[in-house]
Amino acid sequence: MSRPGFVLDVDERTPPLLMHQGEGFRLERLPLGAKVIYPPDSLPGIRNVDAAIKHALLNPHGTDPLPELLTPGMRLTIVFDDLSLPLPPMQTPDVRQRIIEQVLEMAAAKGVDDVELIAGNALHRRMTPAELRRTVGDRVFQAFFPEHLKNHDAEDHDNLLHMGKTKHGEDVEINRRAAESDLIVYVNITLTAMSGGAKSVSVGLASYKSLKHHHNVHTLRHSNSFNDPPNSAMHHSYERMKGLIDEHVKVFTIETTLNNETFPSSMGFLNKREWEWNLRDQASYVAVKRANELLPAKTRRRIWQSTAAPYGVTGVHAGLQSEVHPITLGNVHRQQLTEVNGQSDVAIYGLPYICPYNVNSVMNPILVMSLGLGYFFNLYKNKPIVRQGGVAIFYHPVPNEFHPVHHPSYIDFFEEILTESTDPVLLETKYEEQFATDPWYIQLYRNSYAYHGVHPFYMWYWGAHALEHLGDVIFVGGNRKTTARMGFRSATTLADALEMAKDTVGSSPSITYQHNPPLTLADVR
Amino acid sequence: MTIRREVKLLRHGRDWRGRSTVPKSAQPHELEHEDREFPTAWARTRVAVAARAGLRRTLLKPVVWGQTTPVVEGTEYLDGVKGPVVFVANHSSHLDTPLILGSMPERFADRVATGAASDYFFDVRWRATLTAIFFNAFPVERYGSRRLRSLALDLVDQGWSLLLYPEGTRSEDGWMNPFKLGAAALCVTKGIPCVPIALRGSYAAMPRGRNWPQPGKPRVTVRYGRPLTPEEGEDVRSFRVRMAKAVSQLAAEEDIGWYGALRAAADDRLQIPGGARPTRPGALKPAEEPKAEENGTAAGSPGEQVAHWRRIWASTEPLGGKRRKVWRD
Repeated sequence: MSRPGFVLDVDERTPPLLMHQGEGFRLERLPLGAKVIYPPDSLPGIRNVDAAIKHALLNPHGTDPLPELLTPGMRLTIVFDDLSLPLPPMQTPDVRQRIIEQVLEMAAAKGVDDVELIAGNALHRRMTPAELRRTVGDRVFQAFFPEHLKNHDAEDHDNLLHMGKTKHGEDVEINRRAAESDLIVYVNITLTAMSGGAKSVSVGLASYKSLKHHHNVHTLRHSNSFNDPPNSAMHHSYERMKGLIDEHVKVFTIETTLNNETFPSSMGFLNKREWEWNLRDQASYVAVKRANELLPAKTRRRIWQSTAAPYGVTGVHAGLQSEVHPITLGNVHRQQLTEVNGQSDVAIYGLPYICPYNVNSVMNPILVMSLGLGYFFNLYKNKPIVRQGGVAIFYHPVPNEFHPVHHPSYIDFFEEILTESTDPVLLETKYEEQFATDPWYIQLYRNSYAYHGVHPFYMWYWGAHALEHLGDVIFVGGNRKTTARMGFRSATTLADALEMAKDTVGSSPSITYQHNPPLTLADVR
Repeated sequence: MTIRREVKLLRHGRDWRGRSTVPKSAQPHELEHEDREFPTAWARTRVAVAARAGLRRTLLKPVVWGQTTPVVEGTEYLDGVKGPVVFVANHSSHLDTPLILGSMPERFADRVATGAASDYFFDVRWRATLTAIFFNAFPVERYGSRRLRSLALDLVDQGWSLLLYPEGTRSEDGWMNPFKLGAAALCVTKGIPCVPIALRGSYAAMPRGRNWPQPGKPRVTVRYGRPLTPEEGEDVRSFRVRMAKAVSQLAAEEDIGWYGALRAAADDRLQIPGGARPTRPGALKPAEEPKAEENGTAAGSPGEQVAHWRRIWASTEPLGGKRRKVWRD
């Protein structure tokens, strides 16, 4: 049995602890008495994933087995999560490929001809053919690309269907092909508790008109946290939309969960607790760190971005979303949940090189903000690990770098909008519409590989709850200019950061370090 | 960061094999082994008794008597006593057991088994072996965590006298802690006498944390009292009070003499450890201010919480009030 997660009390016997810091990492000696939240050890993966998938498809929850839902002449649409999941990308074969292949085998046996595969990328950038091929596998790619294997296009108004409004007046507008299918098969990877469930179809296939009802400051400030669906206004909105979608189209959901094998064996020390590092781990730490520092920036990025995680699959469940998702969440909690006793004055997070929006790309300052104050800050249930008015300390260099193809609207957002204000409400009311409807951004989103014009706003809203909650935000090793532009401060060392935090939390604050990744979800009591 | 500094940081707290110390909060919870009790029966065989007598005469006693100046009183009370008996004493030093074993009549010393904390003396094999051979020790559960059946009853049945320290542990500051019930319960259930012993000066001679007596042959006193026999129908708690009173009285003899201590006991002026509050061995109650002042130790004023340093100060006061003579008269 894997060991459960636990909270370490830093004492004089504690070795220096590992911190991720962008495209690198370091050891840091934390002050005595600091708490460190560790995730449960990685769970054993399912040995025979294909058999588990087959079993799930033939024994679904709350619906007939998949083969019985397939009939000759039907319109079948297979939708899968895009490249924002999982992180880092998993070693091939991707679990989505394994599932899609089995679904297609069953469809072929039943004589289904009209099959369409759609990446549920919403307002994310389109996946390149190479990325699609990596996700769905060679056989599927060759058989369906490019006519029947596509990215969802949220700006192709002819191919969007407005299904109506929820009782809260939220527009539900999704991909027309999917909406008019006889059956949608949704292939999901639930990496964190926020993804999967009602989010899959109602977000993955939606348009801006639909997304703006939950991707806004008000909803995100009332999603405490968005990794705790029962307490997340955003997920309540997803559920309402899902209810409406279910009236129009049948959805067969296949959800998978992964274990915490986040880094390949050459960097196995990143998956281990520091006091358990053996000589080999220590040698590879020194070697990898040194080599990483000596490499040219470009090569370094390429190597990090080509890292693939040897994830094991911890669960495959299929059927009705409402019956499948609770099981999936149980699996996620089994792997990630750690109980924490009370909040602290200071929270520390080491931000890694990757977030959902910079796969094969560049982590720009807005994405750093969204990873830190959005994703990592919200990795909690019940209460944040840091108290209201406390200080968050992040480790990241926050370089002033943007990917001009993938993130064009981010550049303008950073250079023109953030210079005016960092207040999410003001940005939302004053500028969101303008960016969302800008024809040039739409052109780049549809035909190039750019994130939608409104996406940087969503990233900023992602941190809105943290911005409201925190008294101060400090980036250790952060670029002064970029952090200042975003309204944060930067420090050279942890000692300096704690010195700066004195103004807010006093000279002897309680400190909690959330040891991420591998991912930990703190259940704060 | 240079590679040297990186390696230095990485090596911090690790041994030459690269193993790190495990943070206390990360140590795995281990279940206690219920079956691992150190066997001590071999230490009570005839050969072991003979070996122990030899060791006591040639090693233990000469060393202790060479390093301290023991004054032994009251062994005559043991003259007519037949074993088994339970010796109870106040406990503040590792010197206590050698002093008692070295000072008691040989016929008892050969037939006495010493209760020793199982979590301290019996945790590793070499220490358990040495303790068993030198002191005929048997393991005593102090905290009742393992719920082992005590050997004490069996030993009494086999005719062994026992040396027990009812305080349960060595005193941290030389003061007497309240007695636990075990020794009294043993005497009452078996109907055997209890011989009170008071030790003074052993804390000053070798307190906790030292492994050799202080230089200068400090004076220590070992006083035996008249054996106490549980009376018909006497309950364990009242016998425990009698026991504690007897030890306190013997301890007070050091300061106020035999008759003074008798008088103090009769007038109920002795401080007896009770509740959670320790008392200075031989201290008198505060109502008797003049007597207490005679003792010359303000820290002896009992009934109130006394600062830690004052307890140690009082406990380390040299006995006899005068320096040891170096030259003969």
